[in-house]
Amino acid sequence: MAHNLTTCTFCGVGCGLYLETSGNRVIGAYPSISHPTNKGKICVRGWHVHEVASSPDRLKNPLLRKNGVLKEVTWAEALDFVATRLLHIRDLYGPDSIAFLVSPRSSNEEAYLLQKLARAVVGTNNVDHGTGVYCNNSIDVLMDMIGVAASTSSIAELSQSAAILVDEVDLFRKLPTIGGVVVRAKLNGARLIVVGSRRNRIAESADIFLQIKPDTEAVLYGAMAKIIVDRGFINRAFIKAHCDDYESFSAKVCQYDLLSAAEACGVSADSIEAAALTFARAKTASALFSTVEARQQESVQALINMILLTGNVGKPGAGIFPLAEQNNLQGVCDMGVLPGRLPGYCDVADRNCRAKLEAIWNAKLPESPGVGARGVLTDRGHGTIKALWLSRYNPVKSALFGDAHKTIPEFDLVIAQHPFITDDSRYATVVLPTVVFGEEEVTFTSTERRIQLAKKVVDAPPGPMPAWQQIAEVARAMGTRWHYRSAADVMNEIGEVMPFYSGADYDNLAREYGRQWPCTKEQPLGTPTLFTNGDGWRRFRFAPVAVPATATPAKDYPLTLVFGHSLYYWHQDALVQHSETLKREYNILFLDYPKGFVEVNSGDAKQLGVRDGEMIRLAAARGSAEATARVTPEIRSGTVFVPYFMAEVEKNIFGAAGEADRTVPVRVEKIA
Amino acid sequence: MKARILERADVLKIVDLLRAQGYEVIAPFCGRERDTRFDTVTDANRDEIQIHLANPYYPPKRYVLPHIEPLLKVQQKNGEIKIEPEYETPKRAIFGIRSCDVAGIDHLDRFYLGRDFRDIYYENHRKNLFLVNVVCTDPERDIGDECFCVCADTGPAAREHFDLQLMDLGDKFMAVAGSDAGEALFSAAIFKKAAPENVEKRHRILDSVRGRFKDKTTSWFSATVRYISQGKVLEKTWEEIGNRCMECGGCTYVCPACTCFTVSDRKIAAGEVERIRIWDACALDGFTRMAGGFNPRRAVHDRRNRRFFRKLAHYFIQRELSMACVGCGRCVAVCHGDIGMPSVVESIRRATVEIEEHVPVKH
Repeated sequence: MAHNLTTCTFCGVGCGLYLETSGNRVIGAYPSISHPTNKGKICVRGWHVHEVASSPDRLKNPLLRKNGVLKEVTWAEALDFVATRLLHIRDLYGPDSIAFLVSPRSSNEEAYLLQKLARAVVGTNNVDHGTGVYCNNSIDVLMDMIGVAASTSSIAELSQSAAILVDEVDLFRKLPTIGGVVVRAKLNGARLIVVGSRRNRIAESADIFLQIKPDTEAVLYGAMAKIIVDRGFINRAFIKAHCDDYESFSAKVCQYDLLSAAEACGVSADSIEAAALTFARAKTASALFSTVEARQQESVQALINMILLTGNVGKPGAGIFPLAEQNNLQGVCDMGVLPGRLPGYCDVADRNCRAKLEAIWNAKLPESPGVGARGVLTDRGHGTIKALWLSRYNPVKSALFGDAHKTIPEFDLVIAQHPFITDDSRYATVVLPTVVFGEEEVTFTSTERRIQLAKKVVDAPPGPMPAWQQIAEVARAMGTRWHYRSAADVMNEIGEVMPFYSGADYDNLAREYGRQWPCTKEQPLGTPTLFTNGDGWRRFRFAPVAVPATATPAKDYPLTLVFGHSLYYWHQDALVQHSETLKREYNILFLDYPKGFVEVNSGDAKQLGVRDGEMIRLAAARGSAEATARVTPEIRSGTVFVPYFMAEVEKNIFGAAGEADRTVPVRVEKIA
Repeated sequence: MKARILERADVLKIVDLLRAQGYEVIAPFCGRERDTRFDTVTDANRDEIQIHLANPYYPPKRYVLPHIEPLLKVQQKNGEIKIEPEYETPKRAIFGIRSCDVAGIDHLDRFYLGRDFRDIYYENHRKNLFLVNVVCTDPERDIGDECFCVCADTGPAAREHFDLQLMDLGDKFMAVAGSDAGEALFSAAIFKKAAPENVEKRHRILDSVRGRFKDKTTSWFSATVRYISQGKVLEKTWEEIGNRCMECGGCTYVCPACTCFTVSDRKIAAGEVERIRIWDACALDGFTRMAGGFNPRRAVHDRRNRRFFRKLAHYFIQRELSMACVGCGRCVAVCHGDIGMPSVVESIRRATVEIEEHVPVKH
């Protein structure tokens, strides 16, 4: 038997865990007591991560569609087919007719190679990750204001925060290890402010819970900033030394009015004031938000403004945490799986950045931003995209927009890399079986910038090939001279391309518990807290946020419909499907509401006479939809919550016009 | 019980003796920093076995109750259905098991073997299991901040349920036989007769070790047993405890005395289904969910109080002759929300002190 330290591959926390193996079988998983992030704790998913590796229904050989049916073929035939078809389509329709979509679970190495294949071999910037639509908003704001699209501090350091603000994210269910750090910090005396229209479980531990109306965060934070400015709690020394654009910010912030903000947000002025003073008076304060929730840029800007205003950057226990919910969302963004940004977040339009990469990659790079995931998956009927490469990404089941199941069949060529047969493989031209967690050595980057090795602990069954290797083989078959002996070689090239990964070679990562970037040759131990030394970083920038207009509820449509994520969807997750325990746990909502659901607040439901499990009609100005009601006290009175997977509801509400807002005024009607 | 003395340098020869008798020997090893583990002894790692170290976190109960265990296979061939049980009957010894974990295995024995229905899978793992208990005597390395075996009455020296018990007396080790199989080992030349001063030293060391446990985890267990058994713990207290539960199941998985499992069938090939059992946890929503969708313990705090009711209620203690907590402290380390056993006892103590009028005993 052997016990190997590796990293969990479910969420963005990157907990350290041991896999116990017997022969070539993984027989157990348990958390590491010494790992700095999780310290012996792990969530229900981590406790069962080993079941995926031992799942019996893995794909063994490549599949190629012949006469409409997927047939097993050799690797040589499959790879040659992919290369030939990609070249053919590129030459016939141009490089921008090909798109590459990566799962936020893909490793750094495969993400890096795939975007390199797209940019340097095919010649297109059509690369994106499955969560791009929402996450990329946060990236733009973070790059603009602080120059880094990542958490400025470490998860463990949250225990040193005197005040913690949790914005909307459901920590208990999505990122339990962080939820635990926050709850324990609170038990040790930290003040906890929870903001959100949903009453997530973390709210029960809050000192101040601001259950605001949906999409009013920007107003709330603007009003809080005004209080902080008016009461003289701003950190002048910090602002003067490190920040630009304070004047234009302050010109806007003085237009906020506490009482009208309280009305717009639907919470009391006293509670806003209490939250502002708690945040401002704390010696160190942190703010956590999810990058995956759809939200306006202004709300992220307003939150970061508060962090800058109080000088909560660059010291332990302080910082902004844009939380990545998937295990390598941070990593795939770092690797440049973004239609507008190269590896290391450089703009594709930046000539110097391109020149540097062109020298390393020995290829000419495209200048204009590519088409993102939403663009690709809503291309139906336009015919601009001819070929699609899906790396572990299953948009048919998991995409939150478009009709992936109708769009994808229109493409001439669909390449799917996955360990299992998925709904997407039904439309695939070629399916390339990948190895799974524990069968290959690759790296993932967690939401605290920690680059970690996932160890190879067992041999893959005969057949499947590491995903990064498949990409390299295709590139070679397309006429390049790519040569990587191992994933470690790929990481060395990543270090050459991105200076903040330059010290993160596999030998260094294997010591201790990975390294937090920037991890350079000069600072090989990595950087737990950013901006501590004050120099070497560009100045921060305030973002002036004008008082957002607040819509007054129309008489006919008194409720606000909100779209968002739901745990319900986890039962579709390929990893969850292959663990007996997780399948059971994440199937519960599905069993209770087999046709899906929309959520109605318990109090509202009582008034409307709607019972749990009853069909209701949601009527909006542009259209109406019917769905099962799930009556719950978790959502705010006055709101109706629609999970993204209820695609029919979304479509019917918006009508043919399409383009989605996140909130819509509606009324709930009983179906007689 | 018979006792013998052996030289420090000869302690690992016990491992050799057991291996020579055909046992697969499991022993504790060090990992990174504070990480330790139980693992199979081989010629290569034999010299790395640790006598004094933090008790491995992933408990040795998995050697009698594996995390995932195949139960049977159902095959359909040519219209015939064949059902075949999958038994594993290892001959295993655990060297260096701590007293708390010995008590844990004893607790599992009573649950799986002590009543009308004997669990054959468990029995197969258990019947050839040889336990070499090591007494925790090193306050720095053996006894963690979370340990509270002195409150759970399981340690630092187990009184029974081991085959052989070893205790570090400084220059020498004392070996105590707890079974005929353990006593049979004494025929080996490494075991010498014990002198009265050895026994006296043993007592002295145990006395001093008991004083090294941290104050914060001790006491109030029996009062908590009474409060829980009498249903005196307020709903509000359970809610506060439940509000800190992240539903990870970790407390159950690391608990040496937790017995719960679930059974699931999965397809492993065409026409072939395997039935497995997997550790299950009362923290999980699906644990008590019934087929029709009703869940008597849907609220998280209802699930949480079930754990402590099951472990500390008098009804269960009477049935199983001990509470289902051995004081190993693993649930303290594993819990995101700090609601391991000592914290819960403390929460109940605080809440009850608030509501109960304190009447001093008059002399």
